[in-house]
Amino acid sequence: MNKRIAVLVFPGTNSEEETLRLLRACGGDAHLVHWSNAKLLPKFDAYVLPGGFAYEDRIRAGAIAAHDEMMDYVIEGAGAGKLVYGICNGAQILLEAGLVPGTGDVRRPSAAFTRNGPVPHFICTHVHVKLAIDPQRSPITRGLQRDALVPAWAAHGEGRLAATPEELARLEAGGHVAFVYAHPDGSVDASATPNQSALGCAALVNREGNVLAMMPHPERDGWTYNHPDRRGGNAILAPSGGAIMFRSFVQAVNA
Amino acid sequence: MGSAESANVALRPDELARIAERLGRAPTTVELHAFDAQWSEHCSYKSSRHHLKKLPTNGESVILGPAEDSGILHIGDFNGERYGVVIAHESHNHPSQVVPFEGAATGIGGIVRDVLCMGAEVIAVADPLRFGRIEDAQSHQRYVAQGAVDGISAYGNAIGVPNIAGDVYFDERFDDNCLVNVVAMGIVKESEIIHSYAPKGAHGWDIVLVGKATDPSGFGGASFSSLTLDAADEASNKGAVQVPDPFLKNVLMRASYRVFGYLRERNLTVGYKDLGAGGIMGCSAEICSAGGYGASIDLDKVNLAVEGLKPEVIAVGETQERLIWVLPPEITADVLRIYNEEFTLPQIAYNARAVVIGTVTDEPRYVLRHRGETVMDVDIEFLTGSIRDELPYAEPQAPHAADERPLVTGVQLDELLERVLAHRDVCSREPLYRRYDSVVRGCTVVPRGAGDAGVLAPVPGSTLGVALAVAGNPRIAKLDPRLAAEHAVYEAVRGVVAVGGRPVGLTDCLNFGNPRKPEHLGEFVAALDGLAHAATAFATPYVSGNVSLYNESAGGSAVPASPIVACVGAFDDVAHVVTMSLKAAGSVLYFIGRPQAALGGSVLLDVLGRHEARVPRIDYDLALAQHALVREAARVNLLRSAHKLGNGGLVVALCEMAFPTLRRGHKPVGVQIDEPWQWTHGAVGDLEALFAETGGFVVEVAAADVDAFEGLADDVEGIWEIGVTTDQPVIAVDDEAFDLHRLHGVWSAPLREVYP
Repeated sequence: MNKRIAVLVFPGTNSEEETLRLLRACGGDAHLVHWSNAKLLPKFDAYVLPGGFAYEDRIRAGAIAAHDEMMDYVIEGAGAGKLVYGICNGAQILLEAGLVPGTGDVRRPSAAFTRNGPVPHFICTHVHVKLAIDPQRSPITRGLQRDALVPAWAAHGEGRLAATPEELARLEAGGHVAFVYAHPDGSVDASATPNQSALGCAALVNREGNVLAMMPHPERDGWTYNHPDRRGGNAILAPSGGAIMFRSFVQAVNA
Repeated sequence: MGSAESANVALRPDELARIAERLGRAPTTVELHAFDAQWSEHCSYKSSRHHLKKLPTNGESVILGPAEDSGILHIGDFNGERYGVVIAHESHNHPSQVVPFEGAATGIGGIVRDVLCMGAEVIAVADPLRFGRIEDAQSHQRYVAQGAVDGISAYGNAIGVPNIAGDVYFDERFDDNCLVNVVAMGIVKESEIIHSYAPKGAHGWDIVLVGKATDPSGFGGASFSSLTLDAADEASNKGAVQVPDPFLKNVLMRASYRVFGYLRERNLTVGYKDLGAGGIMGCSAEICSAGGYGASIDLDKVNLAVEGLKPEVIAVGETQERLIWVLPPEITADVLRIYNEEFTLPQIAYNARAVVIGTVTDEPRYVLRHRGETVMDVDIEFLTGSIRDELPYAEPQAPHAADERPLVTGVQLDELLERVLAHRDVCSREPLYRRYDSVVRGCTVVPRGAGDAGVLAPVPGSTLGVALAVAGNPRIAKLDPRLAAEHAVYEAVRGVVAVGGRPVGLTDCLNFGNPRKPEHLGEFVAALDGLAHAATAFATPYVSGNVSLYNESAGGSAVPASPIVACVGAFDDVAHVVTMSLKAAGSVLYFIGRPQAALGGSVLLDVLGRHEARVPRIDYDLALAQHALVREAARVNLLRSAHKLGNGGLVVALCEMAFPTLRRGHKPVGVQIDEPWQWTHGAVGDLEALFAETGGFVVEVAAADVDAFEGLADDVEGIWEIGVTTDQPVIAVDDEAFDLHRLHGVWSAPLREVYP
């Protein structure tokens, strides 16, 4: 029997439906769990935190949601080895909860996804993110090729990784930078990063590899119809593009 | 008892006399404010409604015409269900001029509720914008242009509705009155539509208010927007602007979707309506009177944000993020539980909740009680019925005579092209729209900037597609309001066709000056003629719309006639969508249109500082044949790309098709076009061929598909082979080649300063 995936809905989450839809299309037995039903969470085998503006991004994106009752269960589950994947606001919440990089105390973040640079505005732009770790380093990336490129949409106002130079060095040395922004041809330079994120970081992974926090949205580039200029033929309803990321996650959950 | 003076209402003496006569007594203060809202232009359309009758509103695709909060258009069928697109269009001009962030944000908030309350899932918004001169970084105009965009961005992004279409123009005539128009679109099965009226058998049902706690904000909003703006009153005007809460709205929408599901499971018919102008009073009176009922409301039941609000403020104030349900009492407790417990409204915003505030009555009275006293008791039909102001209007003055001087510019083509590309109406909009989330919900096929219409795949699992485009050109409007209206329809329809969609219907937002000035009302009447004529020709009826008058400042300067149109398109199979980016070298380029020696309203003449009255005419039969060709060519996959001609004309269209190929990871694709006079056979001059804004399209056809395409085009007039695509990053006109990177830089820069 397939393992059950909970897609968490905090007050202010806005990407739960498309996340759920693509998880299911990729073979996941996924279900929405709203904040008032937090107590259902321990029964699930894996957690996906979708995008949005949980608790209105008050203080800093993800800062309040990290203290929501739902996160008690996610923190507990992550500690027990359950797979946790956060996207955009979900990634911000995981970082604020201290689950990535996961090297310090819970809810004592050592870094932040904070206001974009050079101008602190929301941006919505198509990007590619490139796998920057050995695919075997995390079960969630095990289904990807080495150097895999995942097309996705960056759509955030606070996606710039920021930390002290010492912490950034630790993140890099510890293999926590799971994905970096890249050009469509796979090349990497500063101009590929839309928000001046430190280390070009688009996603962080914890030491154990079971928690992945990714800023851009692969689920918005997850179907052939999401990329009308790139698709071949007329198969308009097939998972494609960013769906490789969801497939890899679902495979890891069901493994 | 109240007096109009002490109550500070906008009702005129004759209107006050009529109310007193009908009531047989002096109105109470609450009644004064109630009639002030209901009889404002904003609610009553008193000086415009009879003119609006000219607009065509019927057609095969119409599921619901302009009668309720939104119209509904049939876009296709899936699994035995007919699917409708719910569409509404509104202005939030006055509030946005005073407090741009909040004004524009509440514009999005309000229009989204109009779509939501039809039982629909909200799937897109769009934002036609008109701002003043933004060159001065310290000006109020710059502040308005930035604040409004930030407000739209903050609100739309937070509620998770993609912004997929819009346009923006800058002109001194909008210095004192910006236009912030907003469009929202939803998707609903025809069998699951919820109407904005109390259904049959609703006598004794509960009236349930849901959403934000009522506060003093937005008191007098309806009449505020029906007066001209006076800078001296700015402080008091600010109090009339509502306060947006997109966080609460996000939860309110999701909770409402849950209630929709609950109603579907039980197959129940209820009423649901947005609170807009006139607040609790306006909404509850209209939802009950539209069903033939009366209403009795207890204002003490209303959840308040602050104690001690006067009854007229509770009744008529326009606090945002509220809606009203009319529910059979046996399900009320379940609905309250969904909002208050499952979606925890009271924890989302202070004292937000769903609460029963009154009852649907058999008697045709509208009754409000407060602290045990009856503070309003009037004939509900008198309150909500139509009133009419027959105001005189004057035919718009004939445009200036044509400028017959030959068009010798003395400017080299490369400089001319750069000046046109840098023009404020042409330059890249990306710095603005990249602040909008155009891909949330994961259904976006063509996001902002990638095509002439935004396109969505709105029904998961089906191939159905829906397109949305907006248009309205103030440069033409300054010359000829009627033709401007026709061009607004033509351009919006053309935008939908350019992506391969089938135009199914329209909405309009009519932004004009003071209807009590005959010349302003004359522009309105002329524009309506144009809107009616063009929509009839394209067989695209209007299913919803909005009238915004008094876009005039105290100094008397008014906006140019601004009929703004949105067109909805449909796809049976969204795989046939076409984007505007050129795809490969070696394709053949065709212009599909009608070359005309008519530069009136063009960007070229603006750049040259010339005026010219000859606005391009629309040949509707030709346009219809060309639209059918473009759609069929798209359907059989003969078009690699397509783009409508708009601001800047043919050469700008070619640049805009080539620019996206400069992105990293793509091969640049350039353009070589023949000497313009050759393909027009001398009918128009070179500059007119390149820069006239006559409508039509440029399409890219693979060399191997040329025979097939020309076979399709055999019977269609106005198809011109104009050149080819190349692997050189240049736009070449005959033997002059212009560097694409340089042109791209010129085009990209101007708005970056305003929207860094």
